[in-house]
Amino acid sequence: MTAAVSARMEMPWRLRKHTGLAGVLILIAAVSLVGGLVSDRFITLNNFLNVFEQTTDLALVSIGQTLTILSGGIDLSVGSLISLTSCLTSGLINNNPDRIIPVVIGVLALGMLVGFVNAGLVVALRVHPLIVTLGMGAVLQGVTLLYALGPVGRVPRGFNFLAYGRVYGLPLGATIAVLLCLLIALALRNLPLGRQVYALGDDTNSARLVGLRRTRILMLVYGCSGFCCAATGLYLAARFGVGQPYTGVNYTLASITPVVLGGTLLSGGKGGVIGTLLGAFLIALLNNLLNFMDVSKHYQLVAQAVIIILAVSVYVERRRTV
Amino acid sequence: MLTLAGISKSFPGVRALSGVDLKVRPGEIHGLLGENGAGKSTLIKVIAGAYAPDEGEMRFADAPARWSSPRDAKRHGVHVVYQEFALFPQLSVAENIFVGQERRNRLGLVDHARTRRDARELLERLGVLLDVDAAVSSLSIADQQMVEIARAMVHNVKLLVLDEPTAVIAGREVALLFDRLRRLRESGVSVLFISHRLDEVFAICDRVTVLKDGRLVGTHEIADVTRERLISMMVGRELGDLFPARSAEPRSGETVLRTEGVAVGERVRDISIELKAGEIVALAGMVGAGRSELALGLFGGVPILRGAIHLNGQRFTSMTPARAIELGMGLVTEDRKSQGLAMLLDIAANITGPALSEVARRGLVDRRLENEIAAREIGRYRIACRGPATKVATMSGGNQQKVIVARWARICKSVLILDEPTRGIDVGAKAEIYRIMRELAASGVAILMISSELTEVIGMADRIIVMRAGRVTGELAGREATEESIMRLATSERAA
Repeated sequence: MTAAVSARMEMPWRLRKHTGLAGVLILIAAVSLVGGLVSDRFITLNNFLNVFEQTTDLALVSIGQTLTILSGGIDLSVGSLISLTSCLTSGLINNNPDRIIPVVIGVLALGMLVGFVNAGLVVALRVHPLIVTLGMGAVLQGVTLLYALGPVGRVPRGFNFLAYGRVYGLPLGATIAVLLCLLIALALRNLPLGRQVYALGDDTNSARLVGLRRTRILMLVYGCSGFCCAATGLYLAARFGVGQPYTGVNYTLASITPVVLGGTLLSGGKGGVIGTLLGAFLIALLNNLLNFMDVSKHYQLVAQAVIIILAVSVYVERRRTV
Repeated sequence: MLTLAGISKSFPGVRALSGVDLKVRPGEIHGLLGENGAGKSTLIKVIAGAYAPDEGEMRFADAPARWSSPRDAKRHGVHVVYQEFALFPQLSVAENIFVGQERRNRLGLVDHARTRRDARELLERLGVLLDVDAAVSSLSIADQQMVEIARAMVHNVKLLVLDEPTAVIAGREVALLFDRLRRLRESGVSVLFISHRLDEVFAICDRVTVLKDGRLVGTHEIADVTRERLISMMVGRELGDLFPARSAEPRSGETVLRTEGVAVGERVRDISIELKAGEIVALAGMVGAGRSELALGLFGGVPILRGAIHLNGQRFTSMTPARAIELGMGLVTEDRKSQGLAMLLDIAANITGPALSEVARRGLVDRRLENEIAAREIGRYRIACRGPATKVATMSGGNQQKVIVARWARICKSVLILDEPTRGIDVGAKAEIYRIMRELAASGVAILMISSELTEVIGMADRIIVMRAGRVTGELAGREATEESIMRLATSERAA
């Protein structure tokens, strides 16, 4: 094959790898445009940094969710795990600055462990992840309530920095979420196991025939999801200053939205975490816009839903024609 | 290269392989022939490490081989390309080739450049020009097959097993495939080529082994056998009393179904056939000839692309299953588990399934009436079960098949299509199904039976229509047809 031919073949590949992001980028541009018309304070660095900051929690949990969906599964235990980890964070630290580091490490490890158990159950019981994680979610919510029936503990002022701090002008929590996202994106792209996540999600049966090790892949995927939930729990504890037993409830379903908006197929095998990050940003931006327009919180939910369904229908259409 | 001695394998109720010997030499293309159900698939799975044999010994590359898993077999150089490929449609060609064997750099990370370069090189060695970055779903089936074969070469394949590789490709693609297989042979790879197309076996194989009913019939140098000899090795068996006697004179009732240049799916073209009331017509041909697609098209399960169907004197250019049922047509599909029965429901629900309005009282299903109907059918077809409430999933294949035949026989007044009605069921149940078919025909229903079992075709059919590659290649009278004459039509190149 001549160099000319192979060079020509490489171009569309580079482009194709990113077509999944086009939709979410267009939507972000569209929302920004409308925002600019609504208020001259919308397209300002300050507002975008605010929106960026408000993206943190949803971005963190959705990044983990992206992995489970890519592998052809889903993690419905995320909400309860966030509640549990946020309660444990404030409850165990209990206003004692010396405990911050061990508790943070412990909580992140616990999140991963829950993910490993999810993966282990999926493999051992041969039950669909939907059911396993739904059950795990119920168990974790129960455990959380056994630990605390209401707001529990307190975090020291310094810990709030995670939620409200700015480093070189950038919101700390959101910056951490972006770094985590980039790290996972690199892992998905460059680790053999990362490539296999896509393969498994694309065709489970082929994965079996080819001899991929499903257990390892699922451990990675659900472990990451658990880790991301724990990070979200830490962040929420820092933001509210206290852990609450129902703080994570809404995240279970909310975590799926950015994934889909970011171009990841719900059936797995195609997509990535960068898109999810942009998807989370889009939702925060949309809420921000609706705030500017003085639309009530309740309508914000409706508007979100409409956009999601429209966006998904567009993706579906495109997939059919390609 | 590979030596099998006395391999046996049983499944509950079936002895799939008994005492099979097979020797594949290094660097030869070895054909494995046999009818459906002859045990080819089971044998492949034993070789691939997917099944452990109950008895017998396997040696591979001069060492005893006891595979613990397909992965293990692959590591030793046995690679199987199944008929339904093990590909990942959304991943690129290069990624598909190296999945599970990722090309890594010193850090253990995926080396994308090398992956693509090596993929290109492997494909070049096969003589295939493909964009290694293209998604596999965008490739033709023939190219997808090449991706599978290229993947085998990554594993340093010594024995490549191809399960009916030509069932999904045609003409020029087959020639290309053969060309590439010869290249592989020159590089010392052995190929086990499973097929039931004789032309192809003669075109490519060095030696050929024939299986029948799970037993070895024989292995021959291809130069030492004739087509006729192979056919008789594959099918030659006594016609027992399995088939109920035909009625004395050939029936010729009214034409109930006539098709006019019907085209369905990707391959089925120009089908003009006729069914008369009270006759049993067999649709013979090889797997992949398009018979099931045609049946689905007639029943409205897939759209008719061109042509028309005349049913009971009415002309239709499109059909839906609901309309077909209304007009007295029925279809017993090939795969009773996924396309016929509701496995988790009971017999009664399965029998009344397509005719629920009949058992409804004021919009609700009357269970007692449903059970009465089921009980009557159970008696009539001698279905072995505890009663109408028996769950279908717990029954034997033969009895399941009787349930589904009973369902359609009850409501079907003009045309009943049966797709491989006796596949995978025991002899007793077969005889019952044959009896039911004859009874239905005697009552004036036109029966179209798709079957790959030639004995069954000859034993049952008043007329035999043979298809090959989506077209009708000929028609034979049931009384005059021989297995050889059918095979000739089913495997010959299409008459221009």
